[in-house]
This record gives sequence, structure tokens and C-alpha cells, in this order.
Amino acid sequence: MTEASLDQLGPVDYAVVEFPAGKSNFTGEMVSELLALVDAGTIRVIDILLLTKDADGEVEAMELSDVGELGELQALEAQLAELLAEEDVVHLAAAMEPGSTAGVLIWENLWAARFASAARRSGGQLIANGRIPIQAIIASIEADEALATEGV
Amino acid sequence: MPLRAARVGRVGVIGHPVAKTAVVAKAVTPGPAPVAKTAVVAAAVTPGRRRRRI
Repeated sequence: MTEASLDQLGPVDYAVVEFPAGKSNFTGEMVSELLALVDAGTIRVIDILLLTKDADGEVEAMELSDVGELGELQALEAQLAELLAEEDVVHLAAAMEPGSTAGVLIWENLWAARFASAARRSGGQLIANGRIPIQAIIASIEADEALATEGV
Repeated sequence: MPLRAARVGRVGVIGHPVAKTAVVAKAVTPGPAPVAKTAVVAAAVTPGRRRRRI
């Protein structure tokens, strides 16, 4: 990757979506929503892996290309970069329950790339970022309400 | 693990074992909204609603 294109790279995130044993219900809805995000230019999918963890905790990883019929995902699969290493599979699978399957998705937040680029050109540097769980927002609201009740 | 050869022997990008996130697990569970106080949370992220104590 050139210096110019690296400067234009948006933040890269990952998600591991676990499907407990017997709980999966694949209707194609997830694929449709993912492709909608790609088509809208919101994200670029960088990598996808499918993991299974057996009852003994043994993990097996599968490439998306190893899935029999990809359908609408075919075009997306052709553009994947193999960012994840075998070592990452072990780390990501640590979150999985025995007997479950999981999809690992790595994506670039294209929507944030231009802003991040502008921030860097303005001399800024990212020193912290993260996600605020909804539970934390609820806890904050409840704490506020408790303080108001107590008249503090 | 039948991974492509290009993934083997490289330094990873995750860096450490990942812990399970209960929040995410709830968010993808089918059925009613995972959070009972959805409206309250929505209000909390509406501009200008809350006062800050610093």
C-alpha cells in the first residue's frame, strides 16, 4: 500500500458473531444487510472467516471460498484480503463457546476515512477511540436518576 | 484448520485472546428489543438533553 492510499485508509474494525449450537437461522438477511453497506460505500469488507469450536474446544477455520454456494457473496469474496493470520484465529476463537459456530468479519469504515484523513492533515492524531455499550449508557442514566431522587 | 497458506506463520493483527462480549451477544438475539429502556437510551443520546457534571 502506498503512503497516499494508507493516508486514506479508514478505521478497520472486526466483529465475531457467534451462533450457539442449534440456534442458527440463516435466511440470507445478514448477507443482504452486509452487501447493502458495501454497495452504499459505508464499509469495505477486508476479510471473512467462518469458525467452529467443537465440544472439546477444538477450533476449525474455514475460508469463505470453501462455502459451497456463495450466491451474492461471490463478488465480495473475490475482493477479500487475507488480513487475518492463523494466530488471529486462535485469539478470536477464545471468545467462542464450545459447540458453537461463528463468523468473523473485518471491515474498513469507509465513512470515516475522509474525516480521519482531514484530521491528520490538520495535525491531529488519534489518541483514543472505542465503543460505548448501551448498558453503560443505561447505568449512567440510572445513576443520574438516583442522584436526582436523592436531591444531590 | 484448512486455512490458506498465506495466513500461516504470519504475525496476527488481533494481538491477544478475545473475551466474550455479552452486550454483542444480546444485541443479535432474535426477538424483542434487547434493551428494555430503548426510549430512555435514545433520549440520552439526543443533543442537549443531559447536563454534564465535571
